[in-house]
Amino acid sequence: MQCGWLHSGPQLWLRCVHRQVRVTAGKQREEHRGWLLTVDPVSHSVALVSFGEDGASVRVVLGHAVEHVEVLQEPDPDTEERLRSLLPPPETGGPDPGERRRRRSGVRRWLQQNRVPVEEDGNELRVARVLTIRAPYRPDDCSSANQIILDRVQRLLRVQPDPVPDSDPVLETSPAPETAPGLDGPIPSGH
Amino acid sequence: MATPVPVLRLPKGPDPNSRGFDPNSPRYIALCRTSIPTSAAAESDPQQLQEEQHARSVLRERFLRCLLAMSNKKVRFHMHEKVNVEATFGASDIDVLNFQVSDLHTPIGVQKEALIRSQDVISFTFDV
Repeated sequence: MQCGWLHSGPQLWLRCVHRQVRVTAGKQREEHRGWLLTVDPVSHSVALVSFGEDGASVRVVLGHAVEHVEVLQEPDPDTEERLRSLLPPPETGGPDPGERRRRRSGVRRWLQQNRVPVEEDGNELRVARVLTIRAPYRPDDCSSANQIILDRVQRLLRVQPDPVPDSDPVLETSPAPETAPGLDGPIPSGH
Repeated sequence: MATPVPVLRLPKGPDPNSRGFDPNSPRYIALCRTSIPTSAAAESDPQQLQEEQHARSVLRERFLRCLLAMSNKKVRFHMHEKVNVEATFGASDIDVLNFQVSDLHTPIGVQKEALIRSQDVISFTFDV
């Protein structure tokens, strides 16, 4: 594939991922060879990986410097496996539904103990109607447009003690009060 | 070579009101004119458009994971005129226009924190 490579669409680039390519970069026309990891659609940067004795090294060539890209060959199964393990795809779903329900109740109870208004909404937890926590309810699974609440809830989740096995049946507990005076810090839960 | 160099002038921070891609921001227009628009074929066909968008998001996500894998690692920047410098990678901005690095080893000393413009860099490497 010739110079039109840069101007062809993301679909072509996606098809070339994991193939070995040769990239010519910069005014000096340096050549770099490697297995294509990805091409950034925003900056056209090309990420290549090459395997050495000590492990893998990744080279990212910035889009403005790329002169020419040529596809050389397909990967063999071993290389393909190594490439796949380099950039793991995001975790989907997560634990089984029972486990998820237990984790969700545990997190909900912890937040309620700390006077944070939280409701269960299907598989997610909603805090003060502005923050959502998806499965598996870790600090990184929180999303919100409000940075202050996000920061507070993430901190709370980080110091949450290990969830106790769920011995209570899943009942609809009364919702926590609307005003949230306690978004200041965790309250120790040693009862 | 290990004497830290004091920072003479702090660079201007990012615009606090922007979030996400803003193709209309003056900075983006000035610096990123080569950003790829939707292809002509995709514009007319919604199915194609969807596929193209999917491809874009997969590629971008892989790139972001690549950047994540780089954070706090030693990275070697290969710049114009055969200048190679080493630094600890901090972050990149959303348009991949600037890189924030720490402990940048330059010929005049070690800069504790620095911003490197992406137009000055040809490529950078790091070990996984």
